[in-house]
Order: sequence, then C-alpha cells, then structure tokens
Amino acid sequence: MVVLVSICVIAALIGIFAMLIHESLPALKKIGWEFIASGAWYPTYEDAEFGMLYMILDSLILVGLTSVVVFPMGLGIALYTTEYANRREREIVRSVTELISGIPSVVVGLIGVLLIGPLMLKIGAWTPFNLLNAVVSLTVLTLPYAISLIIESLQSVSRDLREAALALGSSKIRASAMAIRGAKHEMLYALVLIVNRVLGETMVVLMVAGGAVMLPRSLFDPIRPLTAAIASEVGEVELGSLHYSALFLAGAVLLVISAVITVTAETFIRRGKRWLTG
Amino acid sequence: MADTLVIKGSNTVLPIAQRWVEAFKKYYPDLAVTLEGAGSSTGIKALFNGTADLANSSRFLKSSEVEKMHAEGKYFTPIVIAYDGIAVIVNKSLPINDISRETLKKIYTGKITTWNQIDPSLPKKRITIYSRNTASGTFETWENKVLDKERMAPWVQMLESTQAEVEAIKRNPYAIGYVGYGYVTEDVKVLKVEGVAPSMKTILSGEYSISRPLFVFVDLSRFGNTWPETNVVAKFIKFIVSPEGQKLVEDAGYVPAYPTTSSE
Repeated sequence: MVVLVSICVIAALIGIFAMLIHESLPALKKIGWEFIASGAWYPTYEDAEFGMLYMILDSLILVGLTSVVVFPMGLGIALYTTEYANRREREIVRSVTELISGIPSVVVGLIGVLLIGPLMLKIGAWTPFNLLNAVVSLTVLTLPYAISLIIESLQSVSRDLREAALALGSSKIRASAMAIRGAKHEMLYALVLIVNRVLGETMVVLMVAGGAVMLPRSLFDPIRPLTAAIASEVGEVELGSLHYSALFLAGAVLLVISAVITVTAETFIRRGKRWLTG
Repeated sequence: MADTLVIKGSNTVLPIAQRWVEAFKKYYPDLAVTLEGAGSSTGIKALFNGTADLANSSRFLKSSEVEKMHAEGKYFTPIVIAYDGIAVIVNKSLPINDISRETLKKIYTGKITTWNQIDPSLPKKRITIYSRNTASGTFETWENKVLDKERMAPWVQMLESTQAEVEAIKRNPYAIGYVGYGYVTEDVKVLKVEGVAPSMKTILSGEYSISRPLFVFVDLSRFGNTWPETNVVAKFIKFIVSPEGQKLVEDAGYVPAYPTTSSE
C-alpha cells in the first residue's frame, strides 16, 4: 500500500516537472537567456518582452526579508514555549497558532489590503501595497507555521541532554542554547519549509505586494513576485502562445529556485552530520 | 432538461449582465444561467473553446482572433449593446479637476512622477499609478486611446479588479487610476479630460474622448451560420437590445445603444 502510494506521488511529481519543462520549452527557445538577463516584462505589447529578472529578484528579496523576520520571531516564541512557559501559557500559544494557521491566505490578503495598506500610507509610504506590506502579511501567514515547526524540532532534542546540562549546573539559558544546537538540523529543515512556503505563496502577494515589475529601492516600493504574475496573467493568456509558455517558464524558474534551496540545505545538513559523528 | 446559458467575459460589462440575467430569469424561471466576469480576452477564449454561449467584451476582436476565427470556421457576431467612457479617477482630497490626455500619457509612461510636476500648486508627492491587469479590456482601450501603444512605466501597479482600483484610490490621497464609467462611485473624484467630463451625453456624442462601444459576441457557426430564431441565445439577445434590457444598461451606469422606451 505504502509503495503504491509512493509510486503515485513520485509519478505525479515527475509528471508536473515534465509538463512544466515541456510547456516552457517554446519560450526558452524563442526568448533564450533574455528571460533571465532582462527585467522588462511586457507580455501583451506588440513587440513583447519577457524579461523575468526583476520578478525573480522580487521573489527572492521577499523570501529573504520574510524569513529574516519570521525565523527569529518563531524561534523566540518556540523557545519560550518549550523551555520557559507553564502549561497554561503553552496551551495559549498552541491554540493561538492553531487559530491563526487556519486563516485562509485570501483573508490574510484582505487584512493586508484593508488594515495594513492604510497604515502604510500613514507611516509615509507612497503606495499602500508594497514590499513591506507583503512582508508583514506573509509574516502573519507563516509565523504560526514556523512556530509549530520549530517547537517540533526543539522537542526532538532528547530531554536527557537538557537535564544533564541543568544537573551539571548550567543556567537555563545555557540549556536552551544546548537545545538549539541539538536541534539545528531539524531547524534548518524548518527554515527550508518556511522559505518554500513564502516562495510559493500567491494570493497574499497578488493582493498586497503592489503588482509593479520593478526592483525595489526601499521597503515602500511595490514589487511583483513571479507567483503573482503567473496568477494574474494565466487567466487571459492565449493557449499555446509565447506568453503562455513564458508563464510556464516562470513556474519552472520557481521550481528550480525551490529545488536549489532544498538541495543546498540538505548537503549542508549531511556534511554537518558527518562532521558531528566523525 | 432545463436550458442553460453560459455567459463569460468583460468585467466592465458584468454589472449590466448581472441585471440582464436577473430580469431575464423572470421570463424563464427554469433557465440555468452561469455568469462570469474574467476579462474580455477570457470571454472570447471561452467562445473559441465552446465553454461559453455568449462572450461579453469591452473591445472588438483582435486581428489575431479574427484570423483564428476564420481558420476554425467560426462566425462570431458582434452586437453593440452599450457605450462606456473610461473615467479617470483620483482621491477626493486631491485639488485637481481637469487633466489633458498628454499629461495622462506622461504619467502612465513614467515621464511625470510627482503631482507638482503637473501643477506647482499640487502636493509634492509621488503619484501612485494604478492600472487594471493585462486581461482587462479597459487596459487595452487605455493602451490604445491614451498611451498610443507606448509602454507603461514599470512602477504602474496592476490591480486584479476594478472594484479593487476604486477602493485603493479611495484610501490613497495621491493615487490615480482609470475605470469604466459605470464603476465610478461617490468615494472618488472623476477628472475632466481635455475639459470634458464623462456623462451619458458626452460619451454618446463622442465629445468625451476616452470612450468605447461594449459588445456581446455570439458564435453563429454553432447554429449553422444562421440566426437562431427560437434558441434561448437569440431570446436573450432580443431581450438585451429591447427597451427593457437597454433600461438596465442605463441603470448600471452606462450609455444605452438603443432606445430605452418603447415607441408605442
């Protein structure tokens, strides 16, 4: 049974990969490396251009910034919950994260539009939908996810290790540091999952990132990640046209970025383990 | 089996089509109608692949679509059902009332970036420029009538729906955008273009320059290239061009293409 299910999943994955590559080949052939060398994305004009550089960078900037915000916050809350909190506090954190993680991304997007957007104007942004709004909205969306992932990795550390440290007279902070060190590989996995979640998120960025294909010079500039462009344009695109194929190419680019991040993290972990066990 | 009618296409035509469908259902309670606004191109695409009976469109067929239609032996008949002006809207607090097409073009192509470049008395603030995404017929009309096919500046922000545009401009004091005349609400200010405000009269007479006809397309090749006298599609079209249907066009805020009162 397990084998059958695994085969199905692997076949589906290969199928998705094959379809993406097959559909994006015409664009790759016609546009060539221009797609990654240029940032000019004018898919519907008469002499159309399909430069994705800015959208790729927009995606990466957004992922980087959001991870930098979400990961330390998640780590802090997770540490407090596992190491310091009493049972009641732990219950509160658990139910709140569960509650928030149940919010559909379109609702988070609405919060970004109706609540965070006007706030952006008040703090001096020239447009309510911008990079900062996307980072804040995505933080709301992914923080609960990050917290539960990091809590899980901290809990994977054996209690003995922590208790031994405490018994040897180290402070609680020291013991927590031990726990972090013990869970660092699991936490790296957690980080990879968070990064991939942000990279693939579509609805929120479609609603609050601003939808302008440009390189942001400040947090207040609007951006347009690849996912937003695909979602916005795939509805009207003519089947089989160059634009259609270019959107698949954008999807393939996302897949490659995600794969590179995951594989890099795994090599890192494998090397680290070899070093640890000698 | 109950009859079905699938209508897809332009967001601009959607408020009219909603009223039509509602009223039409009173005559045919058993009729199952599906109505979807997803952009003119999407509607025409649906007509090609047979997933819609009628396509609402805020633009005429592109030459590529006409060629494809011929190649596939299809026969899309356009029916002009209303006229629409594209209104230029800004936040109510902005002290500007009139704008030229030249200035609009400069804003959207990126040659003007702050309000005080238009008029020194306006705030020295960056203009937030909104546009509909490329799926919309409004975008194409704007591209043709205002931009003269020049490219928009990269910082023009694409929004997914007209309502989102109105909402965004209502909340942002330095924003500008363009929407179908029927979507204008009390919450935003409509600018005069070249000294002419969009109204039923100025749009129909052509005085207001950024205007266009709205279409419903039907594929007659499905009916053997003749007019289907008894089909529900024909009944619906008869209804929408009738005085009752045209009155609904007016209710939705557009300019009717045919009389709204019967001549009797």
